Amino acid sequence: MTVHELIRKVFFVEILKGLALTLSRLFTRPVTRRYPKEKRPAALGFRGLHALVRNPATGEAKCVGCGLCAAVCPSRCISIYTSEGPEHQKVVDRYEIEVLRCVFCSLCVEACPFGAVVLTPHYEYADYTREAFYMTKERLLENWDRFMGREGYEYFERFWNPKTSHFSTPRNQAVFGKDR
Amino acid sequence: MIKLTIDGREVELERPVTVLEAAKRVGVTIPTLCYFEGLPNFGGCRLCLVEVERLPKLQTSCTLMASDGMVVRTETEQIRAARRAMLEFLLINHPLDCPYCDKAGECTLQDLVARYGPEAGRFAEGKRKHPESLDDPIIVRNMERCVLCTRCVRMCEDLQGAYAISVSGRGGHSLIEPFSGGRYDCEYCGNCLTVCPVGAIMSRLHRHSYRPWFVEREVETVCGYCGVGCSMVLQVREDSIVRTIPRFGLGLNNGLLCVRGRFGYDAVDGEGRLTTPLIRVEGRLEPVGWEEALAFVASRLGEIKDSHGGRAVGAIASGRCTNEDNYMLQKLMRFVIGSNNIDSAARFHYAPAEAFLESVFGQGITANLIPGIADSDGVFVTGGDPTAINPVLGLQVRAARRSGGKVIVLGPPGGLKRFVDHELVPMPYSDEVVLSAIVGGLMEAGRSSGENRAVEERLKELRLPSEEELSAAGIGPEALARAVDDLLKMTNPVVILGPEIMDGARASKRLFLVGAVAYLMNARIYLLSERPNYQGVMDMGCVPDLLPGGGPIGLEMLRDRIEAVLGLRVPEEGGLTLFEMVDEAERGGLRALYVMGEDLLFSLPDRARVQRALGRLDLLVVQDIYLTETAAMADVVLPAAAWSEKDGTFTNLERRVQLLRRGRYPRAGREDWRIIADIGGRLGMEKTYRSAEEVWEEVTHASPLHAGLGYSEIAGGGAVWPYHSEPLKGTEAGFAVQGLGELPGVEAPGGPYLMPERPLFHSGTLSRRSRALLSIHPEPYLVIPPSLSEELGVTDGGRVRVVGAKGTMVLKVRIDPDQREGTVLLSNTFEGANFAGLVGFTADPVTGCLTIEDNTVRLERVDDEAL
Repeated sequence: MTVHELIRKVFFVEILKGLALTLSRLFTRPVTRRYPKEKRPAALGFRGLHALVRNPATGEAKCVGCGLCAAVCPSRCISIYTSEGPEHQKVVDRYEIEVLRCVFCSLCVEACPFGAVVLTPHYEYADYTREAFYMTKERLLENWDRFMGREGYEYFERFWNPKTSHFSTPRNQAVFGKDR
Repeated sequence: MIKLTIDGREVELERPVTVLEAAKRVGVTIPTLCYFEGLPNFGGCRLCLVEVERLPKLQTSCTLMASDGMVVRTETEQIRAARRAMLEFLLINHPLDCPYCDKAGECTLQDLVARYGPEAGRFAEGKRKHPESLDDPIIVRNMERCVLCTRCVRMCEDLQGAYAISVSGRGGHSLIEPFSGGRYDCEYCGNCLTVCPVGAIMSRLHRHSYRPWFVEREVETVCGYCGVGCSMVLQVREDSIVRTIPRFGLGLNNGLLCVRGRFGYDAVDGEGRLTTPLIRVEGRLEPVGWEEALAFVASRLGEIKDSHGGRAVGAIASGRCTNEDNYMLQKLMRFVIGSNNIDSAARFHYAPAEAFLESVFGQGITANLIPGIADSDGVFVTGGDPTAINPVLGLQVRAARRSGGKVIVLGPPGGLKRFVDHELVPMPYSDEVVLSAIVGGLMEAGRSSGENRAVEERLKELRLPSEEELSAAGIGPEALARAVDDLLKMTNPVVILGPEIMDGARASKRLFLVGAVAYLMNARIYLLSERPNYQGVMDMGCVPDLLPGGGPIGLEMLRDRIEAVLGLRVPEEGGLTLFEMVDEAERGGLRALYVMGEDLLFSLPDRARVQRALGRLDLLVVQDIYLTETAAMADVVLPAAAWSEKDGTFTNLERRVQLLRRGRYPRAGREDWRIIADIGGRLGMEKTYRSAEEVWEEVTHASPLHAGLGYSEIAGGGAVWPYHSEPLKGTEAGFAVQGLGELPGVEAPGGPYLMPERPLFHSGTLSRRSRALLSIHPEPYLVIPPSLSEELGVTDGGRVRVVGAKGTMVLKVRIDPDQREGTVLLSNTFEGANFAGLVGFTADPVTGCLTIEDNTVRLERVDDEAL
């Protein structure tokens, strides 16, 4: 043991250094947030609770039931049930997400050709029952209203950049050979 | 030997084939849209382009024959560019509605665009618009999506032979349309749906209800409608069957199905499916639990057996149930109750015909492979329309004709109308005159080989018709001579025998004559079978005089074997046939009847008599999936599992044992064999079974026919008779034929004959539970010839009152210009308007088959105001 080491041990130099840091922190602002009183806003593209986008024109879900989200879902937590409607159109009867199985990869959002499903920034949905985590179509639409709402559209367009526009053919298509 | 190189791989070919097929042999897949295996080549889609050295331009590999020394490349940058361009052209008009289109996920165009591009189209002109056609109840056409590959047209014309659809319009306005306009007027085989590479022609049954990747399981099984036993795949999502599809390369149908197989799968989900056992309490059927119902049946059967003996109990097996079900019923009857009274609806035609032909020509005479029909150079069809009774077998006849074979039909040709060389339609009930003349012609040509002395001896007794008699039967002697000439030219002929050959008196003579025609021509015989498992019913011993394995009950060797395997005794006393059971029940000798999957009251003629007979029983147990008319009379009704809900085996008409696999769990009932085994257990049967496979294992021990034939072997699809063991040989028993020396004159009846129609869209009672089949053929109708419509003054769709010997019905009329004079047709499909409800019956004295009696009817016009 050298003299140098002996002095450090006798005078508790290491401890004093530590206490000095503690003392200095007494006079800085605390980093701890007083959650839940104080909430941190979610970052852009935070992958929170799911929602189905409401079509502002009709007030219904944008979803057409193409099933691509269910196809791409790695944890197979999306189930979609469609049927033929009275006008022979495709009707989405049920769109269900089992949130407890979801891994929040957001592949469903990326796969959706219509921008009809989204992960909202909402993350406070702890609950006591499994049923509470079983999202039906109605609940998913309600999620949109509650957590995305009007400003959600812009956020959604800007951040998720849905692929809808890439697919669409011109609306005012001419009838081949007739109304040219 | 042709040697060529494809993508650096050496290919050696025995026979010249196209480059596309050669590439397939070495595992090189060339993308195609219009090419389809089995269809004539078209070369229209230009996607199968390949590069061949020393040929200046890209070649379509589906039409280019492989030749020696070729060097072929299938994926180069030039080819990819050409394919990308072709796809871009296709996408000028093909809409990008993939998210809505039900084909997405199994769409060839989608896959190809994903593989070759283009990412974006350069055509801004706008797409062709054409409204989706929803005029048809089953098939939806979306001609915007059509890529004009014409696979469907080629399928319809060249494989199915229905000639129902065609390309109409030209250039960009071309579209596929049925000749009948919006609604199809065709055989509804649905094979055009199978081949459509895009979503242009689709089934409406599962429209918008799922996407292909939602299918959780695919179950390979066998169709439950007729005796051909087509293989099909059930696609299952969450324990419900979303659709049934055929698969190329699977089973003897190789990708083809008929309307019943493809669209009739919802028959098990019809209204009124039985959900719980019912017991009659004070005249009404009340729901009870399984335990109570089974205990009740067992105790009542036990009481009747103890007080009246086993012979007072009878059972009816079912051609719709599996071998395991039928075996178990047979075991319960023979070995637990001690009665040989077991029979089935196979008794009507199939079983007696087969038994008779086997007694003349030896066991296995009707066991011939269905795909062999297409290879034969001549087909003689009689007794029914194979394209309606066994549609996929009928396609084989059409294929034989297409490859140059001659087709001769005795009787109305039905769906073979456009495929007949000689159409011999005699007067009703004079087939035997024509058959005698044919046999006479063949014998005259010296076709007696001397191989079967007994047959040739009997043929000497045959009285041949004179030319006048033949003309009186409605066939000109020249026409017959021409037909016989063609029969004599056939080197590899086939004889197809339908159930109608047995209608009318002297069934044995007609059967013998058809057998003799086959014998003299050295032809293979095919016996049409209306139910999926008539053959299995017989093989499982559900015939009074046959034991499992199809051997006669008197054969000691077989009896000893079975008794040794089961440790139980075969009852000594002979059993009753179906008709005898009805007689005996009417007399009061039969006290209890166990009916499995059969609607006796509906399928047997002379309803009043059958009702009386069933009413006299002390105990009527009916095991079925619906509350049929017979079930409504029963003391106990037990709900069973349907065709798509159980495992088991079916034996088809060529005696191929095939596996039936469960697509989903039964909604309510239990498997038939399990119900019967439970009852048997309560009556002292010691053996218990856990699965259908265990039942089958017992069958393989008990039946010498099925020895060593396990499920794993059956699954391969090659379990064709004779399976492993030697079939029983010998025809020593001799045979009787009625009326060989006589020839009946053609009598003028008091009115038109009512004949059974065997329609394509329905088969008996199960199909009328299918909403899809009902939408094609929704209501009963009486088919009448135009002359009769004039006489009665009714138009198509008008109503007539049909007064028969055993009933009266008011029916809608359909005028068919092809309908034979002096006959009217009615199918046995709809309750209250069925063929059997109007006529009487007896059993044929020689063969024991069903003989329709009193079937001349009187027709009266009914004016709508009177209704």
